[in-house]
Amino acid sequence: MAEVVFDQASRIYTPGATPAVDKLDLTITDGELVVLVGPSGSGKSTALRMLAGLEPIDAGSVRIDGRDVVDVPSKDRDIAMVFQSYALYPAKTVRENMAFPLKMRRMDKEEQAKRVADAAELLGLTDYLDRKPKALSGGQRQRVAMGRAIVREPRVFLMDEPLSNLDAKMRVQTRSQIASLQNRLEVTTVYVTHDQVEAMTMGDRVAVLRDGALQQYATPSELYDRPVNAFVAGFIGSPAMNLLDLRRSGDGVTLGGMEIPLHREVRDAAGSADTVTVGVRPEDLALDSDGSGGGVKAVVDVVEELGSESYLYAHMAEDEATTLVVRGPGRTNVRYGETIALRVDADAVHAFDASTGARLA
Amino acid sequence: MRRAPLVPALVFTIVVTQIPFLLTLYYSVQSWNLVRPGSQRFVWFENYVSVFADSQFRGVALNTIIMTLGSVIIAVILGLLLALLLNRHFIGRGVVRTLLVTPFLITPVAAALLWKTTLLDPTYGLINFVLSPFGASGTDWVSTFPLASVMASLIWQWTPFMMLLLLAGLQSMPGDQVEAARVDGAGAWAIFVELTLPHLRRFLELGIVLGAIYLVNTFDAVYMITQGGPGTASANLPFYIYQRAFLGFDIGQSAAMGVVVVVLTIIVATFALRLVFRSFGAAGSES
Repeated sequence: MAEVVFDQASRIYTPGATPAVDKLDLTITDGELVVLVGPSGSGKSTALRMLAGLEPIDAGSVRIDGRDVVDVPSKDRDIAMVFQSYALYPAKTVRENMAFPLKMRRMDKEEQAKRVADAAELLGLTDYLDRKPKALSGGQRQRVAMGRAIVREPRVFLMDEPLSNLDAKMRVQTRSQIASLQNRLEVTTVYVTHDQVEAMTMGDRVAVLRDGALQQYATPSELYDRPVNAFVAGFIGSPAMNLLDLRRSGDGVTLGGMEIPLHREVRDAAGSADTVTVGVRPEDLALDSDGSGGGVKAVVDVVEELGSESYLYAHMAEDEATTLVVRGPGRTNVRYGETIALRVDADAVHAFDASTGARLA
Repeated sequence: MRRAPLVPALVFTIVVTQIPFLLTLYYSVQSWNLVRPGSQRFVWFENYVSVFADSQFRGVALNTIIMTLGSVIIAVILGLLLALLLNRHFIGRGVVRTLLVTPFLITPVAAALLWKTTLLDPTYGLINFVLSPFGASGTDWVSTFPLASVMASLIWQWTPFMMLLLLAGLQSMPGDQVEAARVDGAGAWAIFVELTLPHLRRFLELGIVLGAIYLVNTFDAVYMITQGGPGTASANLPFYIYQRAFLGFDIGQSAAMGVVVVVLTIIVATFALRLVFRSFGAAGSES
């Protein structure tokens, strides 16, 4: 049980170049599951490895329960880590793999056996304890890696994309298992993924990183409802938010000849800028079924039918380069090439500065 | 007919291996000394009986075992230490690696000569020169420690081979396992014992088997450094058979010894090769 604090922590591979992790400030409270998410090269794995002691901390500090761990080797940080590749020890059986961290701490043999048996029971590995890792399926290996982490009862769990080597179905299943396991064990967990769906579904809070810098650290719903900048807005949510650079006109902006009104605070924040980046989520674009009530005209390029809903990928009727994603009803009868009319829910519009990407009010 | 082009190779192989072997079998049941013409006669298994009754043969067989296993094991240990060193990053690593490999590239006879004269000579040898500040002088290494002198040159030649093999093994070790072990609380020694050695197992097996197969046939080092002497103190089986055949001219006796050695080698090699194939098999099924 522990609180983890990143205090201006940086990792600089080559002096002078952009740091891999740039002055990261992050506080993870006791028992929380925090997800670090971002595209590749965003520094999320590096940040995790800094906490694990596998990468040096070049500036700032990282504290676990108030203790600065900059100069503390991995083995003394009381953490457990699940690797993307699982990193199981191939020459050891499942039992020996799971007992390894306990053996390294010279724990009493009986206690070792008991803890391994408990963890195996919890993870459904009891029948596989005497197998070698190569005789296990991907999902089983993943659970052995989890088991090796939980037998330790560490202060902090670190997970580096633990699901990325599983197939889609296993991933969804294991995702909820990890989340419920974490709730039960109440161990502070830092989880790294590039998959924003994993981040949204698992995290108590989510930290979005880009190019080594923290963009936003908030609950999943806040990230979704109030992204601080255009990057977070585009990264969180699937399909991604429609982000359009639109010209100001009157009290709003124009899209395909229609005016979308902007709130007073947004207009004030935008100041004299003549374009604004407007973000609209696919579900906030309403399909104007009869097309009589005006609306923005768009031509459908692709229809993704998911059964309960559908996603229409379309381009503006008068501007081929501007594309939009619209959520439509399930079993839609809209087809490729059809022209549809769209209405924008003005209250659901996000507005960002066109040059900096920062949220306007 | 598809295999017809291979026939010359088959014929060649039979001519150079099987016919000499059959002839050896024939000689081994003859009493035949080249120094006494007309002495050739059929004696059943008398030669074999005297081979096993020959205490020198037993002594030489023991020498062969000591020389082969001792050299291989010491070369593996030294090679492992050097490989661990070269597996770290330091300035000049490439140069050091090249220098460490060179002994393996030297012709065995030249290497043996180098050890006998440049290094071990009692008057102008470099070893005595280096040890002279510590009070050693004039030690005649080759006659005082004949077997050890031969082994030193063999170990010097074979350490680089073991080093390269084990270095390849070390470099194929997945880094994430080491990282996982560090997070799990393992120190450097625990990582070496718990992860590195099991990972290197099949490389060690391969090195020991290949080294033993080559070193059991050593002739050049013995011939160059000690001539098997003093007496037979440093002779191994190939050298002893050579002595019996070409210095003693006893064709029957040496042929019988050759047959005994071949049979023993086949027995050992069957187990040894099985070990190699098993380790390759394990390597194959793991990936």
